[in-house]
Amino acid sequence: MSELTSSEDQLRHQLGLLYTDVNAELRRRGLNGHRNGRRPARLRVPAPVPDVIEKAKAELPVLALQAVGELSLRLRQLTGRDVIDLATMMAIVQFLSRQVELANRGEAMEVDDFGFDQEWTESLLPIFRWVYRNYWRVETTGLEHVPAEGRALLVSNHAGVLPWDGSMIKTALLEEHPHPRHARALIAQFFFGLPYLSWFLRRTGQTVGHPDDSVRLLERDQLVLVFPEGVKGTGKPWRERYRLRRFGRGGYVQVALQAKAPIIPISVVGSEEIYPMLGDVGPVAKLIGFPYFPVTPLFPWLGLLGTVPLPSKWRIQFHRPIRTDLMGAEAADDQNLVMTVSDQVRDTIQQGLYDNLKLRRSVWF
Amino acid sequence: MGGELAHRLESRDDVAAVYGLDIEDPKVALDRTEFVHADTRHSLLTKLVRGLSVDTVVHCAVLTEGRAGARTVHETNVIGTMNLLAACSGADSPVRRVVVKSSVAVYGGEPYAPSYARESHEESAQTREFLANDLREMEQLVSDFQVRNGSTTVTLLRLGHRLGFQYPTPLGEYFLLSRVPTFHGFDPRLQLLHDDDAVEALYRAAAADHGGVFNVAGDGVLLLSQAIRLAGRRQLPVLLPFWRGLARAGLRATGYDLPASIADFLAYGCVVDIDLLEREFGWRPPHTTRETLLQFLGRGESEPLSTGPQEYELSQYLQRRRRLAAGSRRA
Repeated sequence: MSELTSSEDQLRHQLGLLYTDVNAELRRRGLNGHRNGRRPARLRVPAPVPDVIEKAKAELPVLALQAVGELSLRLRQLTGRDVIDLATMMAIVQFLSRQVELANRGEAMEVDDFGFDQEWTESLLPIFRWVYRNYWRVETTGLEHVPAEGRALLVSNHAGVLPWDGSMIKTALLEEHPHPRHARALIAQFFFGLPYLSWFLRRTGQTVGHPDDSVRLLERDQLVLVFPEGVKGTGKPWRERYRLRRFGRGGYVQVALQAKAPIIPISVVGSEEIYPMLGDVGPVAKLIGFPYFPVTPLFPWLGLLGTVPLPSKWRIQFHRPIRTDLMGAEAADDQNLVMTVSDQVRDTIQQGLYDNLKLRRSVWF
Repeated sequence: MGGELAHRLESRDDVAAVYGLDIEDPKVALDRTEFVHADTRHSLLTKLVRGLSVDTVVHCAVLTEGRAGARTVHETNVIGTMNLLAACSGADSPVRRVVVKSSVAVYGGEPYAPSYARESHEESAQTREFLANDLREMEQLVSDFQVRNGSTTVTLLRLGHRLGFQYPTPLGEYFLLSRVPTFHGFDPRLQLLHDDDAVEALYRAAAADHGGVFNVAGDGVLLLSQAIRLAGRRQLPVLLPFWRGLARAGLRATGYDLPASIADFLAYGCVVDIDLLEREFGWRPPHTTRETLLQFLGRGESEPLSTGPQEYELSQYLQRRRRLAAGSRRA
């Protein structure tokens, strides 16, 4: 045992030496040169900002390694045990260097017709995996109902102010499904007008909540994830948690019928407690053009820190598919059938919510 | 674009005569085309249409991607089209086919449109952007004309954004900047239309009956950042995402005038669905978005734009025209 510890200490020592070397090297280069030793011809316009960014990008892994290494040593000295172990350290460094690598892809970068960058999305998985496994400790059941290939429309309840539920459903499909698949979520059009967010949503495979888009994706045999409650679901107050809102106008059923895709209802439990919404300041929401402005126990009192979601215990259940693919495309015009199917989906999800709430020991465990 | 189209039409045997109408000299040397210097005044157009018994009218005098001001755009796009359509209407009108050029700018910004806008997509919110509003008004006039003149085939082509191979459009100039400023926080999907494909689409619409509204654009999309990288240029994400007017003013100060419609395009992008075009015309623009950009850049760098092979022919042609005009005035 002591041998093991000493060898790990040795490794840590070597790592320390390594980053002091690299650091010295970087400092030396910083004084009299550019990366790779060549200096590009200066253009008329000086551009200090991008150069700084480029440089930071290149140094990021080393700096991170230094910082994390330092932190781990300190914490070890302080507490006498490994708070950050070597594996975590390496994972963090790996993640950062992968980000740098992807940022420097240049022309090799590929996106699909909707702007989905699969490589980059998958590189973010470690973060979401950690949230999925360690933070919300998600328990997922019924994944066998999701086909290994071919189209399907995933329909889920929507809650929790910010759409974390979508990210967890996507993570579940990538992490636990025997054939990892990307689900493409449909997002309210409003968010695509926002800077940064529109960029992130498109890059990670989401698209506009428009029937045309969903049919197009389904026809390419993709998994499409919809939240028929929309912002009415995410913006509902705390006292109405786990009570489903109106499921739009059944448009999602029409889409499934048109594209001959089965509907797979999903119940997500836990998302309601991440931001208990106590109030909604309507005028502020109107002023900044948002659908709602939430007041939670932490937000807006703690500012950005208040946007950290609470660590509730999550359960996700995928239900048995509703075979809308067998009903024929002309069924999409049958308003009666559409509303019947929509009600059936809603009931399934609501029942699933009750079942999973019972299975959960408490909100936090 | 009209000149290029006339050039294509001249070579067809079943076209008896081609008449061109513009207030300026043509930019393409033409053989058979009778060129008329005129504006779109109604009285004049009526006389022309009936006097020459024109059976096909192709309306290209629609400003879609230049830097014209709001007033000029309104006068040209709405009033000009109104006059032209009025001249073509009526029971005694010889016109059997009308082709009108429009632009995908009618869809406005991407956030309120599906990822692939179809022709049937109705823009619910009025944009503040004058070009889109004027184009919508113009398209309304065209559809009114179609209702009143059922026997005439009306084709409305919503052309995608072009870069301008001969004369770069503002968007083309944008990709030729040495450092390309972009809006912070946006990386939209772009779709481009090759100049040749634009002319080809107008030609096909003029040569056969294809009534309806059609999107015309290249296959495939490019992210703005990808496009800039392909152009071998450096992206400067320095423009504020909000208050785009401010960003435009800043750019104007550095010597590049970015039209409002292109600013929207660079923030939200605009991608359209061209399945309807393919179904009706049996043709898709052969140049993809990527090919269009690469060809544009290849040309933009290697060959100075002002001394194309056309230039000499064109100057000869214009001289000949002037001599003829002087001769007829003397006679």
